[in-house]
Amino acid sequence: MKALSKESILGLIALGLIVVMSVLAPGFLSSQNITNMMFQIPEFGLIALGMMVVIVTGGINLSITYTAALAGVAIALMQSNGYPMLLSILVGIVVGLVCGYINGFIVSKIGVSSILVTLGTMVLFEGIVLSLTKGNSISGFSESYSLIGNGYYMGLVPLSIIIFILFAILTGVLLTKSKWGRSVYMVGSNPIATLFSGVNNSKILMGVYMYSALLASIAAIIMTSRYNMAKVDLGSSYLLQSVAAAVLGGTAIEGGYGKVMGTVYAVVIFQVLSSGLNLLEVPRSIVGVITGAILIFVLIINFAKAKFDEKKQKKMQEANAA
Amino acid sequence: MTEYLLQMNHISKTFPGVKALDNVMLEVKPGEVHALIGENGAGKSTLIKILAGIYAPDPGAEFYFEGKEAGIHKPIDATLKGISIIYQDLSLFPNLSVAENIYMGRESTSKSWKKIDWKKIEETAEKALKELDVQVDLNMPVEKLSIAQQQLIEIARALAFDAKLIVMDEPTSSLSAGEVEKLYKVINDLKRKGIAIIFVSHKLKELFTVSDRFTVLRDGKFVGTYETNDLDEDKLITLMVGRQVLYEKNQGIIKAGNTIFEVKGLSKEGNFRDISFELKQGEVLGITGLVGSGRTELAQAIFGVNRPFTGEIKINGETVKVRSSEDAVKKGIAYIPESRKTQGLILQQSIINNISLPVLKTLRNALGLINRKKETALADHYVETLDVRPALPKMEAGQLSGGNQQKVVIGKWLSTKPKILIIDEPTNGIDIGAKTEIHKLLRKLASEGMGVIVISSELPEVLAVSDRILVMRHGKIAGELSINEATQENIMNYALLGSKQTGVHRENPDLGEERGIPM
Amino acid sequence: MKSILQSKEMSIVAIVVLLSITLSFVSPAFLTFENIFDILKGNAVLGILAVGMTLVIITGGIDVSVAAVTTAVCVMAGKFLTVLPDSPISILLLFIVAPLIGVLLGALNGILVSKIQIPAIVVTLGTMSMINGIILYLTNGTYLNSTSFPKIFVDFANFQIFGVSVIVFIFAIIAVGTWYILKYTVIGREVLAVGGNKESSIRAGINFDKVQIFVYGYMGLLAGIAAIAQLSYTKAVDPNGLLGFELQVIAAVVLGGANILGGRGSIMGTFLGVLLLGIMQNGLILARIDIFWQKVVVGTIILIAVSYDQIQYKRSKDKLAKIEVEA
Repeated sequence: MKALSKESILGLIALGLIVVMSVLAPGFLSSQNITNMMFQIPEFGLIALGMMVVIVTGGINLSITYTAALAGVAIALMQSNGYPMLLSILVGIVVGLVCGYINGFIVSKIGVSSILVTLGTMVLFEGIVLSLTKGNSISGFSESYSLIGNGYYMGLVPLSIIIFILFAILTGVLLTKSKWGRSVYMVGSNPIATLFSGVNNSKILMGVYMYSALLASIAAIIMTSRYNMAKVDLGSSYLLQSVAAAVLGGTAIEGGYGKVMGTVYAVVIFQVLSSGLNLLEVPRSIVGVITGAILIFVLIINFAKAKFDEKKQKKMQEANAA
Repeated sequence: MTEYLLQMNHISKTFPGVKALDNVMLEVKPGEVHALIGENGAGKSTLIKILAGIYAPDPGAEFYFEGKEAGIHKPIDATLKGISIIYQDLSLFPNLSVAENIYMGRESTSKSWKKIDWKKIEETAEKALKELDVQVDLNMPVEKLSIAQQQLIEIARALAFDAKLIVMDEPTSSLSAGEVEKLYKVINDLKRKGIAIIFVSHKLKELFTVSDRFTVLRDGKFVGTYETNDLDEDKLITLMVGRQVLYEKNQGIIKAGNTIFEVKGLSKEGNFRDISFELKQGEVLGITGLVGSGRTELAQAIFGVNRPFTGEIKINGETVKVRSSEDAVKKGIAYIPESRKTQGLILQQSIINNISLPVLKTLRNALGLINRKKETALADHYVETLDVRPALPKMEAGQLSGGNQQKVVIGKWLSTKPKILIIDEPTNGIDIGAKTEIHKLLRKLASEGMGVIVISSELPEVLAVSDRILVMRHGKIAGELSINEATQENIMNYALLGSKQTGVHRENPDLGEERGIPM
Repeated sequence: MKSILQSKEMSIVAIVVLLSITLSFVSPAFLTFENIFDILKGNAVLGILAVGMTLVIITGGIDVSVAAVTTAVCVMAGKFLTVLPDSPISILLLFIVAPLIGVLLGALNGILVSKIQIPAIVVTLGTMSMINGIILYLTNGTYLNSTSFPKIFVDFANFQIFGVSVIVFIFAIIAVGTWYILKYTVIGREVLAVGGNKESSIRAGINFDKVQIFVYGYMGLLAGIAAIAQLSYTKAVDPNGLLGFELQVIAAVVLGGANILGGRGSIMGTFLGVLLLGIMQNGLILARIDIFWQKVVVGTIILIAVSYDQIQYKRSKDKLAKIEVEA
């Protein structure tokens, strides 16, 4: 029998969790709750995927949520000043991409470690958003804009989840099937050997930070549309959660491994937990505790499993040698 | 009481899948310089690591120091008992001062909150440096010192620990000629103090200059211990490789084609200077010289990863600019680096992913996505033609043996259909059978029309594969030899002295001035 | 030791001096005794935490849970204060209990980092999220203010020596004490050694795990003391008051010249980094520049500092020419 992959196990855990919650939490399977979850998953999921792509290269993107905030504020400012929706969205995405370019440039061309760069840009982007908004929230979106985050496709499936699914598929295809995606894994595994294989590492890294920013901008569109406003802390709670989701999803924090499906399952697990516990009237704050606990627990299990495998391998070799 | 300071007997060490050491012995007398010699993979470094307390030997080992059970279980035990190891990569703390580096390790058994006595640290360091007759600023951070100075700091540290035995692992590998001579002086002083030295080196000339006795290892087995006076180079080589000649000398090129590759006046400060040569189709050009003569730097410059530099590169008569490794691949240049595990391969990725990496662009379908079928076929092809074993393209590259890993790297580069293949130390750390296989392959590639440049420190290897040999010295081309006129001797003369004149070998004791000879 | 750090620290000193001169022209209020000590008082919590973070970063680690730990100690110590009598013993008890809670939380990070070998950033993200959740759950986000504290504590918080707040003295003691530990104790030298070269430190018999547990435990200890400073400064407990503060702490350390990859960093540099952030903030207020621009300035300065450092590093590496090329 073939062993299940890390991701499939995670998928089973997600499924099991859904079953448990359906039994325990009253109203978990109600259409209202399911719709709620479907509205909440996209924004978190997009940011988590954006974080994952960076982590696969061995980096981290601490400015991802402020990139989203800046893109969201740009869209809000454009629309509240009467510019058409599509143009505003386009400008928002471009603003996000510029943020990604700044990160990418300093990481890939100058060679500063990503944690320092994105720490700096995080403060910078936050400052720019604050200066633009004076700390206030900005609204004044058109009605059609609010459909993106609140509307349904065929009156049943939220539009936002369709956008998320499309981007998840796109990310998966790019990572596994494109030259760029393959190089992303290679750079994350061993940047020197990758460079010595004729790959332009800095181009790959630039792409990674730009793509991360793109996903953040899409998340920003969904969030601003859903909340009907943009302000500085737009999605800021997702920063650490997205790292947690990527790591829980099996992404190696030192780089070289990580799959879209793993991260998606992790996002679903977090969402099911958060909704289920909410229905069980567990306070919101405790959900944060559980998130942190799961993250550390999974890593301890990984550590124990690695130790166990090592021992098993040694024993096998000793047996072979004897 | 025994006359030996160190006695290691019946030392074996088994790693998963390999027996690195098989019943080896090593006995060292006080005040002698004892050379430990063997080819790559002969087991020298494993033996040293057992001595240092990094590895535990297999059961049954006898390990005595000063007539007593050594009882060395971790590195600091060895240091405290008077065995100091000076590793090739040194064990210094770049951010700390000279004085503290010399003192470091003495407090390893003290309480965490013990007060540091800076005066004592400075006195200890000063005393040790005085003993060595070295003058450096005690407060200077070690990262500001030259490698030679850093090495002296390590020796001072050993003295500060009252070392009775100092192991020097390839100590001259990054020293200049003058510095090497200074080191020999230091070694002589240490001897006079009764300190024994185990000298690990590849460089035969150097070993004949400094050593009193030799212990030779081959393939993890003990060959013997000999007095230096009873040996000469040929004998030693025979002992090391087990037969007189390792490879047959190449018989020379059958027919050379047009010039396909040419460099003119390549210079890069601190790397190489005014390098010009050409390469004909079907020819294997050997580039040799001592480690640190600029060979690798030159190759990496041509490959676009050591920039910027001045000069001209021509492929098929056309001047090209290679701005990056990506560019190099486009222009038909392949470079197989020296360090397979860190630069050549991505160990945690599959053989397929490694082989296809430089040519992913060509494996894309109409949508721009990688065609997995084509990719697998490509990997299968090279796994089969190069006889990679086991022939499992999905296996992680890190799980292969050295020789098979090297074949994967070669496969990776053949997939780019290069016009020029530069291969740096092609058989480093590979067993003899696989070495010959790789030599044959390189000859075959050349005969099929590829221009091949082989960079190697192993002279027998250079003689076995090359049609023409360039010898580098201090960043310049010191000489060029056709295969017919080349011998190990005249290559060495170029590498050491920059000229072809002969008769400067064993008879000349001044050779120690120059960097040793790589084998 | 001195010569390398001097050059780096001197450049921060130069920036601080330049900034101060400019500011004293912008506003005469800047260069007054009161204003300077106000800056120090206002940034004492940042400073105490940054001192601890310096040690963590020297070993090549990072701790993003510091703000959460500090808040947790604030909440618990604050609760504890409300039941304490109005007697000097209460202050003593506070100085025992607060650091103790901090050490326990910090050591937890240390054990996870060293024994379970989880990357520091992930461990501390996890503990941060757990601690923040627990704080929120226990306090429900409610604010405690000075009326709930014994009078003796308020007196302590307002206490001044030669016109300088006790909070500044706490900061000073921590900074000098930690400097002493780094310079004059075995464990302090081991912290620097581990950061300088891990492999060499193991060869020299240094217990790497012990050093890691120490730095995270010490970080926790200082978070406990920072909590006292925070309580004294605000005379209140705000469960959300320090949200996101960890990044400012890291920024101060990085500005002070510590290298995130380990090995380099000094208490003096960190102090200057804190001062730089503090003066900048103060200056922007004095210059009546919109407070929102402050972050833009800080972010830009961080980016310039780390980029400059990296470029310098690359250059110095290139200069170490590998080969003596004959002319």
